[in-house]
Amino acid sequence: MKLLALMKKEFARFFGDPRLLITMIVPGVLIYLIYSVMGNAIFGGGEARYDFRVYVSGESAVVDVIDAAVASNEGWTAEFIYLPADGVQTVDEALERVNGGQADALLVFSEGFDEAIAGTGAGNVVPSADLTYNSENETSAAFASLARGILDNYGRTFSFTVNDFAESADFARNMMAGLLPFLIVIFIFSACMSVTLESVAGEKERGTLATILVTSARRTDIALGKVLPLSCVSLIGAASSFLGVILSLPTLMGISVGSAVSGVGALGYLMLLLLIVSVVPLIVSAIAVVSTLSHTVKEASGYTSVLMLLMMVLSIVAAFVSGIGDWVVAVPVLNAVVCMQGVLTGAMSIWKCLVSFGLNFVYTALLVFVIARLLSSERVMFGK
Amino acid sequence: MATQMPFKDFGEEVVRAENLRKTFTLSRKQQRLEHTDFARKVAVNGLSFSAQRGEIYGLLGPNGAGKTTTLRMLSTLIGPDSGDAFVCGHSVVREPQKVRDVIGFMTSELKLEGFFTPSYLFDFFGAMHGVEKEALSARKKELFGRFGIDRFAEVKVRDLSTGMLQKVSLVVAIVHDPAVVIFDEPTNGLDVLTAKVVTDFLLELKAMGKSILLSTHIFSLVEKLCDRVGIIIDGKMAADGKLTDVCAGRNIEDRFFEIYRAVRGESV
Repeated sequence: MKLLALMKKEFARFFGDPRLLITMIVPGVLIYLIYSVMGNAIFGGGEARYDFRVYVSGESAVVDVIDAAVASNEGWTAEFIYLPADGVQTVDEALERVNGGQADALLVFSEGFDEAIAGTGAGNVVPSADLTYNSENETSAAFASLARGILDNYGRTFSFTVNDFAESADFARNMMAGLLPFLIVIFIFSACMSVTLESVAGEKERGTLATILVTSARRTDIALGKVLPLSCVSLIGAASSFLGVILSLPTLMGISVGSAVSGVGALGYLMLLLLIVSVVPLIVSAIAVVSTLSHTVKEASGYTSVLMLLMMVLSIVAAFVSGIGDWVVAVPVLNAVVCMQGVLTGAMSIWKCLVSFGLNFVYTALLVFVIARLLSSERVMFGK
Repeated sequence: MATQMPFKDFGEEVVRAENLRKTFTLSRKQQRLEHTDFARKVAVNGLSFSAQRGEIYGLLGPNGAGKTTTLRMLSTLIGPDSGDAFVCGHSVVREPQKVRDVIGFMTSELKLEGFFTPSYLFDFFGAMHGVEKEALSARKKELFGRFGIDRFAEVKVRDLSTGMLQKVSLVVAIVHDPAVVIFDEPTNGLDVLTAKVVTDFLLELKAMGKSILLSTHIFSLVEKLCDRVGIIIDGKMAADGKLTDVCAGRNIEDRFFEIYRAVRGESV
């Protein structure tokens, strides 16, 4: 009952002030604008038109699906040339064409691919699909992105191999996948910071928090009464950032919306959302601890900036250091950054995502306990 | 002096302070301002007194004597270094939650959020004290009418005058109809009209059987309101008892300075 009243008060404070609401929504709009501009700069605008030339060895209905996906993008066309064809008899010859830029990709399906993945084929041979492309060629890279999205999420079990003649040329995309989670976390941090500093350090500075402390409400209720509603409010900012990312991702990656969604996949997006949901209350709690320890909003703002800087450094390191061990799931916030990178690079680990999700809530609970203890501390609350 | 166990049936003795002691650490800046080399300051030094049911007890003393610190200890905002106090039988050290249930505390240190209206804050603090909705509504009507807040019930607190804000703070502090009301300098900063409204209400509360503890340095307020008085000088209780006994046939002002000279050994 008291917790409910405390939460309602925070919501009333937030939703009664349009300025606070705007500070939550602006980050998402900014993300969308910044990323779209970045994407246009990298890929030369969002109105790219592609005429794909793709060699195909073997037969599969997947080709029709890819063809339909290509056709769904305005101005995009695809020519699928089945081997053997005039002048190109073998797979090796087709590979040379892809490497040389005369073709954009080669798709190789094992014999009886469709029957095998449908479970109606004979024998125990695992069906396979190989995609070879050259990411130095923009058209080739765009086709590979689209084809990968479809094959990764085809919903059947088969062996899928991707070969790139120029792995290093994928650097730009990998860098984006590395930076995106870092940027998401930074935007979330900003959203949490703007509401938490005002609500906790601000109330402490103005003496209104002490008025609540002299009532019969328990300290844990007061702590939860701050963290829960502030997390919900910050989630609006997080959702805004999340939408900004989703909507700008296609432009950023130089692909269509459909390709972007199928590239990350529904499960991937769910994981991204879960990770964001777990990070928000954790960051709110961390800022609330700092705010409770501070005498003024200014002081809290200074300490929180240090916290933000620390998080930025860790996230940047995580973005560019490969081969981070599984231990990272135990590191608050950083675990979410690494898991989000996994989702965006197609190396998603569901167990890592779920463990990170759970652990972040455990850390939040611990921080709420710390806040309650701090609220009971005379030195912290009333020390000069 | 060993702290006794709280008595379950506290009888007429609603508040009992036993050998309360509180020290504060001084920063270098504070040491300079207070012209001292000591890093710790004794704010309250072995204070003992008791307040009775249905009476007004006044803590009288100069600035820095330890009045506010004592009231903050009684309201559980801060804890004593040693000693204990019992409010309606509950120890401020061991049962602060229960003490907060039975007290209403008002001090300039506690502020109301300017963004909200008096009506909203009354409901909010009522919920914080677990007051039922119907009882809360009836009490709001009664108190808002009594103090003339009803016309400003939906005006944001930051837009209220100082006097009206003090009235709102008062009704919010007693939203749960507490048995013990603790006021730190109740008329400080008020205009004469609002000050009269507050002092009249304190007498009303007393007539209703409430126990009131207040701190002040205004002699006339003590003479007008208090049944008992405790004179605090340098954190120690210099005199304590019924107002008539402490005054011993003189007015409180003359008596206070007589005690002050006896304790400090200097003229004022």
